[in-house]
Amino acid sequence: MKKVDCMTHKNIWIVAEHHQDIIQPVTKQLITKANQIKDDKKVTVILFQTKEQKLEQQLLNYGPDEIITVCDDRLKEAPDSLIADLLSQLNHKFQPNSILFGATVIGRSISARLQAKLLTGLTADCLDLKFEENLLIQIKPSYGDNIMCEIVCPNNYPQMATVRPNVFMATEIQNKETKVVIMNDMNFKEDKRITVYEEIPLLSKSDSIANADRVIALGRGMSGEEHINKASRLATKLGAKIGVTRPLTDLPSFSVDDQIGQSGSSIAPKLLITLGVHGAVQFTTGITKSKYIVAINNNPKAPIFDIADYGFVGDAKSFVEALLKLIQ
Amino acid sequence: MSLHIVVCVKQVPVSNNLKIDPITKNMMRSSEPGIMNPFDQNALEAALKLKERFDAKVTLLSMGPKNFEITLRQGLAMGADDAILLSSRGFGGADTLATGYVLSQAIKAIQNVNLVFFGRQSIDADTGQVGPIVAELLGWPQVTYISQINSIDEKSIEAVRLMEHMQQSIKVKLPAVFTVRSELNVPRYPSPRSIMLSYQKEIKVWDEHSFELDLNRIGIQGSPTVVRKVWNPTKVDKETELLGEDPESAARKLLQVLRARDII
Repeated sequence: MKKVDCMTHKNIWIVAEHHQDIIQPVTKQLITKANQIKDDKKVTVILFQTKEQKLEQQLLNYGPDEIITVCDDRLKEAPDSLIADLLSQLNHKFQPNSILFGATVIGRSISARLQAKLLTGLTADCLDLKFEENLLIQIKPSYGDNIMCEIVCPNNYPQMATVRPNVFMATEIQNKETKVVIMNDMNFKEDKRITVYEEIPLLSKSDSIANADRVIALGRGMSGEEHINKASRLATKLGAKIGVTRPLTDLPSFSVDDQIGQSGSSIAPKLLITLGVHGAVQFTTGITKSKYIVAINNNPKAPIFDIADYGFVGDAKSFVEALLKLIQ
Repeated sequence: MSLHIVVCVKQVPVSNNLKIDPITKNMMRSSEPGIMNPFDQNALEAALKLKERFDAKVTLLSMGPKNFEITLRQGLAMGADDAILLSSRGFGGADTLATGYVLSQAIKAIQNVNLVFFGRQSIDADTGQVGPIVAELLGWPQVTYISQINSIDEKSIEAVRLMEHMQQSIKVKLPAVFTVRSELNVPRYPSPRSIMLSYQKEIKVWDEHSFELDLNRIGIQGSPTVVRKVWNPTKVDKETELLGEDPESAARKLLQVLRARDII
Protein backbone atom coordinates (compact mmCIF):
# COMPACT_ATOMS: atom_id res chain seq x y z
CA MET A 1 0.00 0.00 0.00
CA LYS A 2 1.42 3.32 -1.03
CA LYS A 3 0.09 5.08 2.02
CA VAL A 4 2.83 3.91 4.36
CA ASP A 5 5.77 6.33 4.81
CA CYS A 6 4.36 8.87 2.43
CA MET A 7 5.53 12.39 3.25
CA THR A 8 2.86 14.35 1.44
CA HIS A 9 -0.87 14.25 2.08
CA LYS A 10 -0.54 15.27 5.71
CA ASN A 11 -3.68 17.32 6.24
CA ILE A 12 -6.99 16.16 7.63
CA TRP A 13 -9.67 18.45 6.28
CA ILE A 14 -13.00 19.05 7.93
CA VAL A 15 -15.61 20.84 5.86
CA ALA A 16 -17.42 23.16 8.27
CA GLU A 17 -21.18 23.20 8.31
CA HIS A 18 -23.09 26.20 9.59
CA HIS A 19 -26.67 27.26 9.78
CA GLN A 20 -27.90 30.78 10.55
CA ASP A 21 -24.40 31.93 11.52
CA ILE A 22 -23.86 29.04 13.94
CA ILE A 23 -21.17 26.43 13.37
CA GLN A 24 -22.90 23.05 13.72
CA PRO A 25 -21.94 20.69 16.57
CA VAL A 26 -20.77 17.97 14.16
CA THR A 27 -18.01 20.26 12.86
CA LYS A 28 -16.69 20.87 16.38
CA GLN A 29 -16.97 17.15 17.17
CA LEU A 30 -14.92 16.35 14.08
CA ILE A 31 -12.18 18.84 15.04
CA THR A 32 -11.80 17.24 18.47
CA LYS A 33 -11.76 13.73 17.01
CA ALA A 34 -9.27 14.66 14.28
CA ASN A 35 -6.98 16.23 16.90
CA GLN A 36 -7.05 12.98 18.86
CA ILE A 37 -6.12 10.76 15.91
CA LYS A 38 -3.96 13.06 13.79
CA ASP A 39 -0.49 11.87 14.90
CA ASP A 40 1.93 13.89 12.68
CA LYS A 41 -0.85 15.32 10.55
CA LYS A 42 -2.46 18.76 10.63
CA VAL A 43 -6.14 19.43 11.24
CA THR A 44 -7.55 21.98 8.82
CA VAL A 45 -11.10 23.31 8.74
CA ILE A 46 -12.44 24.40 5.36
CA LEU A 47 -14.93 27.20 5.89
CA PHE A 48 -17.13 28.67 3.18
CA GLN A 49 -18.87 31.85 4.32
CA THR A 50 -20.08 35.25 3.22
CA LYS A 51 -17.89 38.31 3.78
CA GLU A 52 -19.71 39.42 6.94
CA GLN A 53 -19.90 36.09 8.73
CA LYS A 54 -16.50 35.72 10.48
CA LEU A 55 -17.44 32.21 11.62
CA GLU A 56 -13.80 31.22 12.20
CA GLN A 57 -14.21 32.81 15.65
CA GLN A 58 -16.50 29.94 16.65
CA LEU A 59 -13.93 27.34 15.59
CA LEU A 60 -10.82 28.67 17.34
CA ASN A 61 -11.74 27.28 20.78
CA TYR A 62 -11.74 23.74 19.41
CA GLY A 63 -8.13 24.03 18.33
CA PRO A 64 -7.76 23.19 14.64
CA ASP A 65 -4.20 23.77 13.39
CA GLU A 66 -5.46 25.77 10.48
CA ILE A 67 -8.59 27.29 8.99
CA ILE A 68 -8.79 27.80 5.24
CA THR A 69 -11.68 30.09 4.48
CA VAL A 70 -13.33 31.35 1.33
CA CYS A 71 -15.34 34.52 2.04
CA ASP A 72 -17.66 35.48 -0.77
CA ASP A 73 -21.28 36.56 -0.94
CA ARG A 74 -21.92 34.17 -3.80
CA LEU A 75 -21.69 31.40 -1.16
CA LYS A 76 -25.05 32.41 0.23
CA GLU A 77 -27.57 29.79 -0.92
CA ALA A 78 -24.93 28.15 -3.09
CA PRO A 79 -25.93 24.92 -4.84
CA ASP A 80 -24.06 21.68 -4.02
CA SER A 81 -22.26 21.74 -7.35
CA LEU A 82 -20.60 25.11 -6.63
CA ILE A 83 -19.30 24.03 -3.21
CA ALA A 84 -18.08 20.71 -4.64
CA ASP A 85 -16.26 22.59 -7.39
CA LEU A 86 -14.56 24.95 -4.93
CA LEU A 87 -13.52 22.01 -2.78
CA SER A 88 -12.10 20.32 -5.85
CA GLN A 89 -10.00 23.42 -6.60
CA LEU A 90 -8.75 23.55 -3.00
CA ASN A 91 -7.96 19.84 -3.09
CA HIS A 92 -5.81 20.23 -6.19
CA LYS A 93 -3.95 23.11 -4.61
CA PHE A 94 -3.29 21.60 -1.16
CA GLN A 95 -3.52 17.79 -1.68
CA PRO A 96 -5.01 16.83 1.69
CA ASN A 97 -4.81 13.36 3.16
CA SER A 98 -8.51 13.16 3.93
CA ILE A 99 -11.71 15.19 3.80
CA LEU A 100 -14.36 14.73 6.48
CA PHE A 101 -17.97 15.92 6.39
CA GLY A 102 -20.90 15.63 8.77
CA ALA A 103 -23.30 12.90 7.62
CA THR A 104 -26.03 15.50 7.11
CA VAL A 105 -28.15 16.27 4.06
CA ILE A 106 -25.69 18.87 2.84
CA GLY A 107 -22.58 16.88 3.83
CA ARG A 108 -23.82 13.75 2.07
CA SER A 109 -24.86 15.65 -1.04
CA ILE A 110 -21.69 17.69 -1.51
CA SER A 111 -19.23 14.95 -0.57
CA ALA A 112 -20.63 12.48 -3.10
CA ARG A 113 -20.54 15.09 -5.85
CA LEU A 114 -16.93 15.87 -4.91
CA GLN A 115 -16.08 12.16 -4.84
CA ALA A 116 -17.17 11.83 -8.46
CA LYS A 117 -15.00 14.83 -9.42
CA LEU A 118 -11.94 13.45 -7.65
CA LEU A 119 -12.60 9.77 -8.49
CA THR A 120 -11.76 8.64 -4.99
CA GLY A 121 -13.45 6.69 -2.19
CA LEU A 122 -16.15 8.04 0.12
CA THR A 123 -17.45 6.15 3.13
CA ALA A 124 -20.89 7.15 4.39
CA ASP A 125 -22.05 7.60 7.92
CA CYS A 126 -18.93 6.62 9.87
CA LEU A 127 -19.15 5.93 13.58
CA ASP A 128 -15.40 5.92 14.21
CA LEU A 129 -12.15 6.90 12.52
CA LYS A 130 -8.49 6.13 13.11
CA PHE A 131 -5.23 6.24 11.22
CA GLU A 132 -2.62 3.65 10.38
CA GLU A 133 0.17 5.90 9.12
CA ASN A 134 -1.53 7.82 6.33
CA LEU A 135 -4.30 5.30 5.84
CA LEU A 136 -7.67 6.36 7.23
CA ILE A 137 -9.58 3.48 8.80
CA GLN A 138 -13.30 4.18 8.54
CA ILE A 139 -15.76 2.28 10.68
CA LYS A 140 -19.36 2.33 9.53
CA PRO A 141 -22.55 0.37 10.09
CA SER A 142 -24.36 -1.44 7.32
CA TYR A 143 -27.56 -3.35 6.83
CA GLY A 144 -29.60 -1.52 9.43
CA ASP A 145 -26.74 -1.61 11.93
CA ASN A 146 -26.58 -5.38 12.03
CA ILE A 147 -23.04 -5.31 10.78
CA MET A 148 -20.09 -3.02 11.31
CA CYS A 149 -17.53 -2.61 8.51
CA GLU A 150 -14.01 -1.34 8.46
CA ILE A 151 -13.46 0.46 5.16
CA VAL A 152 -10.25 1.82 3.67
CA CYS A 153 -9.35 3.60 0.47
CA PRO A 154 -5.82 2.30 -0.06
CA ASN A 155 -4.82 3.72 -3.45
CA ASN A 156 -6.44 7.13 -3.74
CA TYR A 157 -6.28 10.54 -2.12
CA PRO A 158 -8.10 12.26 -0.61
CA GLN A 159 -9.74 9.66 1.61
CA MET A 160 -13.26 10.92 2.16
CA ALA A 161 -15.87 10.14 4.80
CA THR A 162 -19.10 11.50 6.19
CA VAL A 163 -19.40 11.07 9.95
CA ARG A 164 -22.61 10.79 11.87
CA PRO A 165 -23.30 13.73 14.21
CA ASN A 166 -22.95 13.09 17.96
CA VAL A 167 -20.72 10.03 17.85
CA PHE A 168 -17.81 12.12 19.14
CA MET A 169 -17.72 14.65 21.97
CA ALA A 170 -16.45 18.15 21.13
CA THR A 171 -13.95 19.54 23.66
CA GLU A 172 -12.65 23.09 23.91
CA ILE A 173 -8.88 23.62 24.08
CA GLN A 174 -7.17 26.60 25.67
CA ASN A 175 -4.38 28.65 24.06
CA LYS A 176 -3.87 26.85 20.84
CA GLU A 177 -2.48 28.70 17.84
CA THR A 178 -4.61 28.44 14.75
CA LYS A 179 -3.42 29.74 11.41
CA VAL A 180 -6.19 31.38 9.38
CA VAL A 181 -5.72 31.38 5.61
CA ILE A 182 -8.08 33.46 3.48
CA MET A 183 -8.42 32.29 -0.11
CA ASN A 184 -9.00 35.10 -2.59
CA ASP A 185 -8.21 33.48 -5.90
CA MET A 186 -11.02 30.98 -6.24
CA ASN A 187 -12.74 30.49 -9.57
CA PHE A 188 -16.50 30.70 -9.06
CA LYS A 189 -18.14 28.60 -11.74
CA GLU A 190 -21.70 29.66 -11.12
CA ASP A 191 -24.27 27.29 -12.55
CA LYS A 192 -27.15 29.25 -14.05
CA ARG A 193 -29.21 26.07 -14.35
CA ILE A 194 -29.94 25.89 -10.63
CA THR A 195 -31.17 28.59 -8.22
CA VAL A 196 -31.92 28.34 -4.53
CA TYR A 197 -34.57 31.03 -4.31
CA GLU A 198 -35.78 30.61 -0.76
CA GLU A 199 -34.52 29.19 2.54
CA ILE A 200 -36.87 28.70 5.46
CA PRO A 201 -35.35 27.71 8.83
CA LEU A 202 -37.10 24.79 10.54
CA LEU A 203 -37.11 23.59 14.07
CA SER A 204 -36.88 20.05 12.82
CA LYS A 205 -37.48 17.11 15.07
CA SER A 206 -34.29 15.26 14.22
CA ASP A 207 -32.29 18.32 15.15
CA SER A 208 -34.00 18.55 18.47
CA ILE A 209 -33.55 14.86 19.35
CA ALA A 210 -29.88 14.88 18.39
CA ASN A 211 -29.15 17.95 20.48
CA ALA A 212 -31.69 17.46 23.29
CA ASP A 213 -30.66 17.09 26.93
CA ARG A 214 -33.64 14.87 27.69
CA VAL A 215 -35.16 12.33 25.38
CA ILE A 216 -38.06 9.91 25.73
CA ALA A 217 -37.79 7.01 23.32
CA LEU A 218 -40.87 5.03 22.34
CA GLY A 219 -40.79 1.44 21.13
CA ARG A 220 -43.39 -1.00 19.88
CA GLY A 221 -44.75 -1.33 23.43
CA MET A 222 -45.88 2.32 23.27
CA SER A 223 -47.17 2.51 19.71
CA GLY A 224 -50.89 2.99 20.51
CA GLU A 225 -52.35 6.44 20.03
CA GLU A 226 -53.28 6.81 23.70
CA HIS A 227 -49.79 5.69 24.71
CA ILE A 228 -48.18 8.26 22.43
CA ASN A 229 -50.40 11.05 23.83
CA LYS A 230 -49.44 10.14 27.40
CA ALA A 231 -45.76 10.03 26.48
CA SER A 232 -46.07 13.43 24.79
CA ARG A 233 -47.55 14.90 27.96
CA LEU A 234 -44.70 13.46 29.96
CA ALA A 235 -42.20 14.84 27.47
CA THR A 236 -43.70 18.32 27.80
CA LYS A 237 -43.51 18.16 31.58
CA LEU A 238 -39.91 16.97 31.59
CA GLY A 239 -38.82 19.29 28.78
CA ALA A 240 -37.88 16.21 26.76
CA LYS A 241 -38.02 15.44 23.05
CA ILE A 242 -39.60 12.26 21.70
CA GLY A 243 -37.73 9.78 19.54
CA VAL A 244 -38.81 6.37 18.27
CA THR A 245 -37.53 2.98 17.15
CA ARG A 246 -37.70 2.02 13.48
CA PRO A 247 -41.13 0.28 13.48
CA LEU A 248 -42.82 3.43 14.85
CA THR A 249 -41.62 5.52 11.91
CA ASP A 250 -44.47 3.89 9.93
CA LEU A 251 -47.04 5.62 12.15
CA PRO A 252 -48.52 8.89 10.86
CA SER A 253 -47.15 10.84 13.86
CA PHE A 254 -43.52 9.93 13.15
CA SER A 255 -41.03 9.73 10.33
CA VAL A 256 -37.47 8.58 9.73
CA ASP A 257 -36.37 11.92 11.17
CA ASP A 258 -37.63 10.87 14.58
CA GLN A 259 -35.80 7.56 14.52
CA ILE A 260 -33.05 6.84 17.01
CA GLY A 261 -30.39 4.30 16.12
CA GLN A 262 -28.14 3.13 13.39
CA SER A 263 -30.15 4.26 10.40
CA GLY A 264 -31.62 7.21 12.30
CA SER A 265 -30.11 9.74 14.67
CA SER A 266 -27.50 9.17 17.34
CA ILE A 267 -28.43 11.01 20.49
CA ALA A 268 -26.39 12.22 23.47
CA PRO A 269 -28.84 13.39 26.15
CA LYS A 270 -28.21 13.66 29.90
CA LEU A 271 -31.37 11.64 30.45
CA LEU A 272 -32.94 9.03 28.20
CA ILE A 273 -36.14 7.26 29.24
CA THR A 274 -37.03 4.34 26.99
CA LEU A 275 -40.65 3.19 27.08
CA GLY A 276 -41.55 -0.19 25.64
CA VAL A 277 -38.26 -0.36 23.78
CA HIS A 278 -36.86 -3.87 23.47
CA GLY A 279 -33.33 -2.69 22.77
CA ALA A 280 -32.18 -4.28 19.52
CA VAL A 281 -28.61 -3.44 18.68
CA GLN A 282 -29.77 -1.26 15.76
CA PHE A 283 -31.39 0.99 18.33
CA THR A 284 -28.82 0.84 21.12
CA THR A 285 -25.87 1.90 18.94
CA GLY A 286 -27.63 5.26 18.67
CA ILE A 287 -27.90 5.83 22.42
CA THR A 288 -24.48 4.88 23.79
CA LYS A 289 -23.55 8.52 24.45
CA SER A 290 -26.53 9.01 26.78
CA LYS A 291 -25.52 9.81 30.36
CA TYR A 292 -28.37 8.13 32.24
CA ILE A 293 -30.60 5.55 30.65
CA VAL A 294 -33.89 4.58 32.28
CA ALA A 295 -35.56 1.52 30.74
CA ILE A 296 -39.19 0.56 31.15
CA ASN A 297 -40.22 -2.72 29.58
CA ASN A 298 -42.48 -5.60 30.58
CA ASN A 299 -39.96 -8.21 29.51
CA PRO A 300 -37.22 -8.62 32.14
CA LYS A 301 -35.03 -10.31 29.50
CA ALA A 302 -35.22 -7.37 27.06
CA PRO A 303 -31.68 -6.40 26.05
CA ILE A 304 -32.39 -2.74 26.84
CA PHE A 305 -31.84 -3.65 30.52
CA ASP A 306 -28.24 -4.61 29.70
CA ILE A 307 -27.36 -1.00 29.09
CA ALA A 308 -29.82 0.81 31.38
CA ASP A 309 -28.77 2.57 34.57
CA TYR A 310 -32.28 2.29 36.02
CA GLY A 311 -34.99 -0.12 35.13
CA PHE A 312 -38.60 -0.94 35.79
CA VAL A 313 -40.01 -4.24 34.68
CA GLY A 314 -43.69 -3.68 34.00
CA ASP A 315 -46.25 -1.89 31.92
CA ALA A 316 -44.82 1.27 30.35
CA LYS A 317 -48.18 3.03 30.12
CA SER A 318 -48.95 2.54 33.84
CA PHE A 319 -45.49 3.81 34.66
CA VAL A 320 -46.01 6.95 32.57
CA GLU A 321 -49.40 7.51 34.23
CA ALA A 322 -47.79 7.19 37.67
CA LEU A 323 -45.04 9.64 36.73
CA LEU A 324 -47.55 12.13 35.32
CA LYS A 325 -49.52 12.01 38.56
CA LEU A 326 -46.41 12.64 40.67
CA ILE A 327 -45.18 15.54 38.57
CA GLN A 328 -48.56 17.31 38.61
CA MET B 1 -41.82 17.54 -26.65
CA SER B 2 -42.13 14.69 -24.23
CA LEU B 3 -40.26 13.84 -21.07
CA HIS B 4 -38.12 10.78 -20.63
CA ILE B 5 -37.70 9.96 -16.96
CA VAL B 6 -35.26 7.37 -15.64
CA VAL B 7 -35.87 6.01 -12.14
CA CYS B 8 -32.87 4.24 -10.59
CA VAL B 9 -33.92 1.47 -8.24
CA LYS B 10 -32.14 -0.99 -6.01
CA GLN B 11 -33.33 -4.25 -4.60
CA VAL B 12 -32.77 -4.61 -0.86
CA PRO B 13 -33.14 -7.61 1.44
CA VAL B 14 -36.44 -8.08 3.23
CA SER B 15 -34.71 -8.85 6.49
CA ASN B 16 -31.47 -7.71 8.02
CA ASN B 17 -30.28 -11.21 8.89
CA LEU B 18 -27.78 -11.57 6.15
CA LYS B 19 -24.70 -13.49 5.42
CA ILE B 20 -21.33 -12.17 4.49
CA ASP B 21 -19.04 -13.94 2.07
CA PRO B 22 -16.01 -14.75 4.23
CA ILE B 23 -13.59 -14.25 1.34
CA THR B 24 -14.91 -11.37 -0.76
CA LYS B 25 -16.61 -9.79 2.29
CA ASN B 26 -19.52 -8.90 0.04
CA MET B 27 -23.10 -9.44 1.03
CA MET B 28 -24.40 -12.81 -0.13
CA ARG B 29 -27.59 -11.49 -1.64
CA SER B 30 -28.69 -14.46 -3.68
CA SER B 31 -30.05 -16.46 -0.74
CA GLU B 32 -32.58 -13.72 0.06
CA PRO B 33 -35.71 -12.62 -1.70
CA GLY B 34 -35.72 -8.88 -2.16
CA ILE B 35 -37.99 -5.88 -2.30
CA MET B 36 -37.66 -2.54 -4.04
CA ASN B 37 -35.84 -0.13 -1.73
CA PRO B 38 -38.69 1.84 -0.06
CA PHE B 39 -37.26 5.29 -0.95
CA ASP B 40 -36.96 4.15 -4.58
CA GLN B 41 -40.69 3.42 -4.51
CA ASN B 42 -41.17 7.12 -3.66
CA ALA B 43 -38.87 7.99 -6.57
CA LEU B 44 -40.92 5.87 -8.96
CA GLU B 45 -44.17 7.31 -7.63
CA ALA B 46 -42.84 10.82 -8.32
CA ALA B 47 -42.08 9.82 -11.91
CA LEU B 48 -45.48 8.18 -12.37
CA LYS B 49 -47.23 11.31 -11.07
CA LEU B 50 -45.42 13.31 -13.77
CA LYS B 51 -46.45 10.75 -16.35
CA GLU B 52 -50.10 11.34 -15.42
CA ARG B 53 -49.73 15.05 -16.25
CA PHE B 54 -47.28 15.07 -19.13
CA ASP B 55 -46.47 13.07 -22.17
CA ALA B 56 -43.74 11.10 -20.43
CA LYS B 57 -41.96 7.79 -20.61
CA VAL B 58 -40.69 6.17 -17.42
CA THR B 59 -37.73 3.81 -17.63
CA LEU B 60 -36.54 1.80 -14.65
CA LEU B 61 -32.81 1.29 -14.32
CA SER B 62 -31.08 -1.02 -11.88
CA MET B 63 -27.68 -2.65 -11.49
CA GLY B 64 -27.49 -6.02 -9.81
CA PRO B 65 -27.85 -9.76 -10.15
CA LYS B 66 -30.58 -11.39 -12.25
CA ASN B 67 -32.97 -11.73 -9.32
CA PHE B 68 -33.28 -7.92 -9.25
CA GLU B 69 -35.91 -8.63 -11.91
CA ILE B 70 -38.36 -9.08 -9.00
CA THR B 71 -38.01 -5.39 -8.22
CA LEU B 72 -38.13 -4.28 -11.84
CA ARG B 73 -41.27 -6.35 -12.38
CA GLN B 74 -42.82 -4.65 -9.36
CA GLY B 75 -41.90 -1.25 -10.85
CA LEU B 76 -43.41 -2.18 -14.21
CA ALA B 77 -46.58 -3.27 -12.41
CA MET B 78 -46.70 0.12 -10.66
CA GLY B 79 -46.73 1.73 -14.10
CA ALA B 80 -43.22 2.15 -15.50
CA ASP B 81 -42.99 1.72 -19.28
CA ASP B 82 -39.83 -0.31 -19.52
CA ALA B 83 -36.93 -1.60 -17.48
CA ILE B 84 -33.23 -2.12 -17.95
CA LEU B 85 -31.20 -4.38 -15.70
CA LEU B 86 -27.44 -3.86 -15.76
CA SER B 87 -26.27 -7.31 -14.87
CA SER B 88 -22.94 -9.00 -15.26
CA ARG B 89 -20.24 -10.52 -13.11
CA GLY B 90 -18.06 -7.64 -14.21
CA PHE B 91 -20.31 -5.18 -12.35
CA GLY B 92 -20.05 -7.15 -9.07
CA GLY B 93 -18.30 -5.80 -5.98
CA ALA B 94 -18.87 -2.20 -7.05
CA ASP B 95 -18.76 0.58 -4.48
CA THR B 96 -20.73 3.81 -4.90
CA LEU B 97 -18.28 5.32 -7.39
CA ALA B 98 -18.24 2.31 -9.74
CA THR B 99 -22.03 1.97 -9.41
CA GLY B 100 -22.55 5.66 -10.18
CA TYR B 101 -20.24 5.41 -13.18
CA VAL B 102 -22.08 2.44 -14.70
CA LEU B 103 -25.50 4.03 -14.11
CA SER B 104 -24.39 7.35 -15.63
CA GLN B 105 -23.02 5.62 -18.72
CA ALA B 106 -26.25 3.65 -19.08
CA ILE B 107 -28.28 6.88 -18.84
CA LYS B 108 -26.09 8.34 -21.60
CA ALA B 109 -26.75 5.22 -23.68
CA ILE B 110 -30.52 5.43 -23.13
CA GLN B 111 -30.30 8.94 -24.68
CA ASN B 112 -32.54 12.01 -24.47
CA VAL B 113 -33.22 11.56 -20.76
CA ASN B 114 -34.61 14.70 -19.10
CA LEU B 115 -34.92 13.63 -15.48
CA VAL B 116 -33.39 11.02 -13.24
CA PHE B 117 -35.01 10.12 -9.93
CA PHE B 118 -33.35 8.23 -7.08
CA GLY B 119 -34.55 7.38 -3.57
CA ARG B 120 -32.67 9.46 -0.98
CA GLN B 121 -30.69 6.38 0.07
CA SER B 122 -30.97 2.61 0.13
CA ILE B 123 -31.99 1.06 3.42
CA ASP B 124 -29.21 -1.52 3.33
CA ALA B 125 -26.05 0.45 2.60
CA ASP B 126 -27.64 3.78 3.64
CA THR B 127 -25.14 5.94 1.74
CA GLY B 128 -27.26 8.24 -0.44
CA GLN B 129 -24.16 8.83 -2.57
CA VAL B 130 -25.07 7.33 -5.92
CA GLY B 131 -27.55 10.06 -6.95
CA PRO B 132 -25.04 12.94 -6.59
CA ILE B 133 -22.29 10.85 -8.22
CA VAL B 134 -24.49 10.23 -11.27
CA ALA B 135 -25.41 13.94 -11.41
CA GLU B 136 -21.75 14.93 -11.37
CA LEU B 137 -20.73 12.36 -13.97
CA LEU B 138 -23.54 13.49 -16.27
CA GLY B 139 -22.63 17.14 -15.58
CA TRP B 140 -26.21 17.87 -14.51
CA PRO B 141 -27.50 19.86 -11.55
CA GLN B 142 -28.81 17.90 -8.56
CA VAL B 143 -31.56 18.50 -6.06
CA THR B 144 -31.28 15.97 -3.23
CA TYR B 145 -33.72 15.03 -0.44
CA ILE B 146 -36.77 16.62 -2.06
CA SER B 147 -40.01 16.56 -0.07
CA GLN B 148 -42.24 18.48 -2.45
CA ILE B 149 -42.50 19.30 -6.14
CA ASN B 150 -44.05 22.75 -6.51
CA SER B 151 -44.22 23.16 -10.24
CA ILE B 152 -42.96 21.60 -13.41
CA ASP B 153 -42.96 22.36 -17.06
CA GLU B 154 -40.96 20.70 -19.78
CA LYS B 155 -37.95 22.87 -19.15
CA SER B 156 -37.67 23.19 -15.38
CA ILE B 157 -38.81 21.99 -11.97
CA GLU B 158 -39.31 23.83 -8.70
CA ALA B 159 -38.87 21.57 -5.70
CA VAL B 160 -38.45 21.77 -1.95
CA ARG B 161 -35.36 20.21 -0.44
CA LEU B 162 -35.89 19.23 3.19
CA MET B 163 -32.77 19.41 5.36
CA GLU B 164 -32.19 19.06 9.11
CA HIS B 165 -32.61 22.72 9.98
CA MET B 166 -34.25 24.28 6.98
CA GLN B 167 -35.99 23.77 3.72
CA GLN B 168 -34.76 25.22 0.47
CA SER B 169 -36.92 26.06 -2.51
CA ILE B 170 -34.93 25.31 -5.62
CA LYS B 171 -35.59 25.92 -9.28
CA VAL B 172 -33.62 23.76 -11.67
CA LYS B 173 -33.47 23.51 -15.44
CA LEU B 174 -33.74 20.07 -17.01
CA PRO B 175 -31.98 17.75 -17.43
CA ALA B 176 -31.39 17.21 -13.71
CA VAL B 177 -31.04 14.54 -11.03
CA PHE B 178 -33.37 14.37 -8.02
CA THR B 179 -33.21 12.23 -4.89
CA VAL B 180 -36.51 11.96 -3.06
CA ARG B 181 -37.60 11.62 0.55
CA SER B 182 -40.55 9.53 1.72
CA GLU B 183 -42.36 12.79 2.61
CA LEU B 184 -42.81 13.46 -1.11
CA ASN B 185 -45.63 10.97 -1.73
CA VAL B 186 -47.21 7.63 -0.92
CA PRO B 187 -46.21 4.97 -3.45
CA ARG B 188 -49.12 3.28 -5.19
CA TYR B 189 -49.92 -0.41 -5.02
CA PRO B 190 -50.08 -2.19 -8.37
CA SER B 191 -53.53 -3.49 -9.25
CA PRO B 192 -53.90 -7.20 -10.10
CA ARG B 193 -54.50 -6.16 -13.72
CA SER B 194 -51.35 -4.05 -13.88
CA ILE B 195 -49.36 -6.89 -12.32
CA MET B 196 -50.64 -9.16 -15.08
CA LEU B 197 -49.87 -6.60 -17.78
CA SER B 198 -46.36 -6.10 -16.42
CA TYR B 199 -45.49 -9.59 -17.60
CA GLN B 200 -46.05 -8.45 -21.18
CA LYS B 201 -43.38 -5.79 -20.73
CA GLU B 202 -39.82 -6.72 -21.45
CA ILE B 203 -36.94 -6.34 -19.03
CA LYS B 204 -33.83 -5.59 -21.05
CA VAL B 205 -30.60 -6.98 -19.65
CA TRP B 206 -27.40 -5.10 -20.46
CA ASP B 207 -23.90 -6.27 -19.63
CA GLU B 208 -20.61 -4.39 -19.86
CA HIS B 209 -20.52 -4.83 -23.63
CA SER B 210 -24.00 -3.47 -24.29
CA PHE B 211 -23.01 0.18 -23.90
CA GLU B 212 -19.90 2.31 -23.75
CA LEU B 213 -17.84 1.70 -20.59
CA ASP B 214 -14.27 2.06 -19.44
CA LEU B 215 -13.81 -1.45 -18.02
CA ASN B 216 -11.27 -0.16 -15.50
CA ARG B 217 -13.98 1.91 -13.88
CA ILE B 218 -16.51 -0.87 -13.22
CA GLY B 219 -16.84 -3.56 -10.56
CA ILE B 220 -14.10 -4.20 -8.04
CA GLN B 221 -11.33 -2.61 -10.11
CA GLY B 222 -13.35 0.60 -10.45
CA SER B 223 -14.01 0.81 -6.70
CA PRO B 224 -11.54 2.84 -4.64
CA THR B 225 -12.88 1.60 -1.31
CA VAL B 226 -12.10 -1.79 0.21
CA VAL B 227 -14.02 -3.49 3.00
CA ARG B 228 -11.23 -4.70 5.27
CA LYS B 229 -13.22 -6.22 8.07
CA VAL B 230 -16.83 -7.00 8.91
CA TRP B 231 -18.22 -7.88 12.31
CA ASN B 232 -21.30 -7.77 14.49
CA PRO B 233 -21.43 -4.90 16.95
CA THR B 234 -21.02 -5.91 20.59
CA LYS B 235 -22.30 -4.23 23.67
CA VAL B 236 -21.00 -3.76 27.18
CA ASP B 237 -23.50 -4.64 29.88
CA LYS B 238 -24.24 -2.20 32.66
CA GLU B 239 -25.49 -2.84 36.21
CA THR B 240 -29.13 -1.85 36.15
CA GLU B 241 -30.68 -0.60 39.37
CA LEU B 242 -34.27 -1.74 39.51
CA LEU B 243 -36.66 0.99 40.56
CA GLY B 244 -39.37 -1.07 42.23
CA GLU B 245 -42.17 -3.56 41.89
CA ASP B 246 -45.15 -1.41 41.05
CA PRO B 247 -45.47 1.64 38.76
CA GLU B 248 -46.20 4.13 41.57
CA SER B 249 -43.18 3.29 43.73
CA ALA B 250 -40.92 2.98 40.66
CA ALA B 251 -42.02 6.40 39.42
CA ARG B 252 -41.47 7.92 42.86
CA LYS B 253 -38.01 6.34 43.13
CA LEU B 254 -37.05 7.57 39.68
CA LEU B 255 -37.96 11.17 40.44
CA GLN B 256 -35.99 10.96 43.67
CA VAL B 257 -32.90 9.65 41.87
CA LEU B 258 -33.11 12.16 39.04
CA ARG B 259 -33.49 15.06 41.47
CA ALA B 260 -30.56 13.84 43.53
CA ARG B 261 -28.40 13.78 40.44
CA ASP B 262 -29.62 17.23 39.42
CA ILE B 263 -31.01 15.92 36.15
CA ILE B 264 -34.47 17.37 36.62
